[in-house]
Amino acid sequence: MQHVSHPSIIAVAALYFAVVVAISVWAARRTKTASDFFVAGHGIGLVALTVASVSTSVSGFAFIGGPGLIYSIGLGAMYIVLPASVTNVMGAWVLAKRMRLLGEARQLMTVPDAIGARYRSPLAQGLSGVAMLIGIIGYMATNALAMGVVIDAIFGVGMGWGIWIGMGVTLAYSVAGGILAGIYVDVFQGTLMAAASVLVFLAVLKVGGGLGGLSTEILAKDPGFLSPWGKITPLAALSFFFVFGLGSLGQPQGVHKYYMLKDPLQLRWYPLLKTLGLILVLLLYFGVGVGVKSLVARGALAPLAAPDAATPTFLLRFTPVLLAALVFSGVAAATMSAVNSFINIAAAVVTHDLPLAFGRTPKNELKWGRISTAVLAIAAALLAQVSGSMVAFLGIFGWGLFASTLVPALAIGLNWEGATKEGAIASISTGLCVTLVAETLAYMKVYSFPAGVTVSGLSLVLSVLVFFAVSWLTRARAVEQIDPDVRLVMSV
Amino acid sequence: MTKRIALAAMLAAALAILAAYASAFLPGGAPGWAPWLMALGIPTILVAVMVLGAARDGRVGRLALPFAFSFLVLAAGFCLAVGLPANEAAGSPLYLGLPLRAAIVIYGIGLFPIVVLPIAYALTFGEQTLNAADIERVRLAGEAWAREKAAAAGGPTSHRPSTTGTEPEAVLPGARA
Repeated sequence: MQHVSHPSIIAVAALYFAVVVAISVWAARRTKTASDFFVAGHGIGLVALTVASVSTSVSGFAFIGGPGLIYSIGLGAMYIVLPASVTNVMGAWVLAKRMRLLGEARQLMTVPDAIGARYRSPLAQGLSGVAMLIGIIGYMATNALAMGVVIDAIFGVGMGWGIWIGMGVTLAYSVAGGILAGIYVDVFQGTLMAAASVLVFLAVLKVGGGLGGLSTEILAKDPGFLSPWGKITPLAALSFFFVFGLGSLGQPQGVHKYYMLKDPLQLRWYPLLKTLGLILVLLLYFGVGVGVKSLVARGALAPLAAPDAATPTFLLRFTPVLLAALVFSGVAAATMSAVNSFINIAAAVVTHDLPLAFGRTPKNELKWGRISTAVLAIAAALLAQVSGSMVAFLGIFGWGLFASTLVPALAIGLNWEGATKEGAIASISTGLCVTLVAETLAYMKVYSFPAGVTVSGLSLVLSVLVFFAVSWLTRARAVEQIDPDVRLVMSV
Repeated sequence: MTKRIALAAMLAAALAILAAYASAFLPGGAPGWAPWLMALGIPTILVAVMVLGAARDGRVGRLALPFAFSFLVLAAGFCLAVGLPANEAAGSPLYLGLPLRAAIVIYGIGLFPIVVLPIAYALTFGEQTLNAADIERVRLAGEAWAREKAAAAGGPTSHRPSTTGTEPEAVLPGARA
């Protein structure tokens, strides 16, 4: 990312981080128990939870990587975010109620907890925890690297120091305030980013002469950009929709938040508010990608050296410096937010789910949660320093790994009494093995998959089919595997 | 019955999607029918999983219409994008600022479901999704389970144990309840 150092931008970024620190101090004072640390004490209100959930959903990709992807492959990149029209309400129907009620019945704290309770299986709980941990390591390292890039771009401190500064701030508020700090930092930065996204989109329309003006310029030079698939094949584009659509039901950073809602009856408005929030935040994703392409097409901008330069270039050339400062600070904050969520989830796996899987009773979870948070954050920062290409590899399969290991066992399993423990274990194992093996083969260039076939999509559909097949084969044991309270949660 | 149909639809859709992926491995790459399988399989699996989650006492009640609408919008949107001729070019007519196929995808698939589904969810929430009586029943069921587990572990307890087997949370003096 190009350097954007400017006194105003630095000042806004510094102020942004100061607010983050203040929120962290406040949250730290309210974090007294493991429940507070991992699920905000089950006490978050609807608006805070919704805004935080939107923030967690988008991360820095929506502001830098996403517009860059649109710039390079056209509207095909929209299939990553188009599922938002259905995923929030789908998640509400399929998971929100069930997870929140499980939290009510059993004081659960983690996604593997729900799997363990559903199937009465420590093995399923542990296996899902391991799968999540592997995906999270990659995600955290990728976001740590992104943090370093953005902080270096703003403050000019070098990427290495950028990583340590970013992870240091994130570590501090994650250790002190856990997910409670994360939630309210998300509320702060999510609100600002939604506003900034709308303003940037309006700026794009103004500069481009409206959406029609943008399209006219692009169609004259590169009409394929505006085909429904952009520069990719229909199969590839639709595969994105499948993975980011159905796969949303397996993303622990979103699903985990259902435990935190104070009043389950407020779920009534959750999908509507979240969908509207996401649309606002994603306006920048679409607008900048298409806008910069149009500006290049008409000669108002030189072709970009790198697609990720789309957002910084547009902001620095066509928006007020304050708005640019807000977006750059927001990108850094968004990556911190993602890291906070993932660190918290990973710490819960290490201190809570894995001990339970091995038949041990977790002790002093708050203390060990804080310690493991620190260790994981430092490990992610070190990994990010070591190898950019390795980090990129680790980061690409996170979403797909979560989707293929958790969607069948959690999302389908919580709604189907015929799902069995054996089916859950088989599907989690399938998702884990197919994703890791196939992505490694592709990364090492041993095998490249044909156009349109994504490892994530293939892994997801295979794990769904294995889940159905093994559950059917072991169906005689399905009924005895469900505790009465869990059965009630599944039936209401 | 509704859940069985939803599960069957999910299975069929998953097989269709797998077939689409598998066809890409054929010599010459994915044939022309592969995107059609995805265009129909994806709406089927998404709506089917929604039906699975929303069904209560074997029915989706008033939600049948919004689910049917959403399936039609998604399926029609994808099929039109696949089936209409690729004629984007300089001077193409624009619909709300976009060429036809792009407009169908962005506005049809990206925005239409938003108008219907979250509102349908909110309007049917009390009858179809969750109400206060449900929460109370679940809470009581959880307490009953916890008592049984505690009794099985060897004696009554004076607090509510965490059902995941962890020790009771350490609550510091003066901590928030």
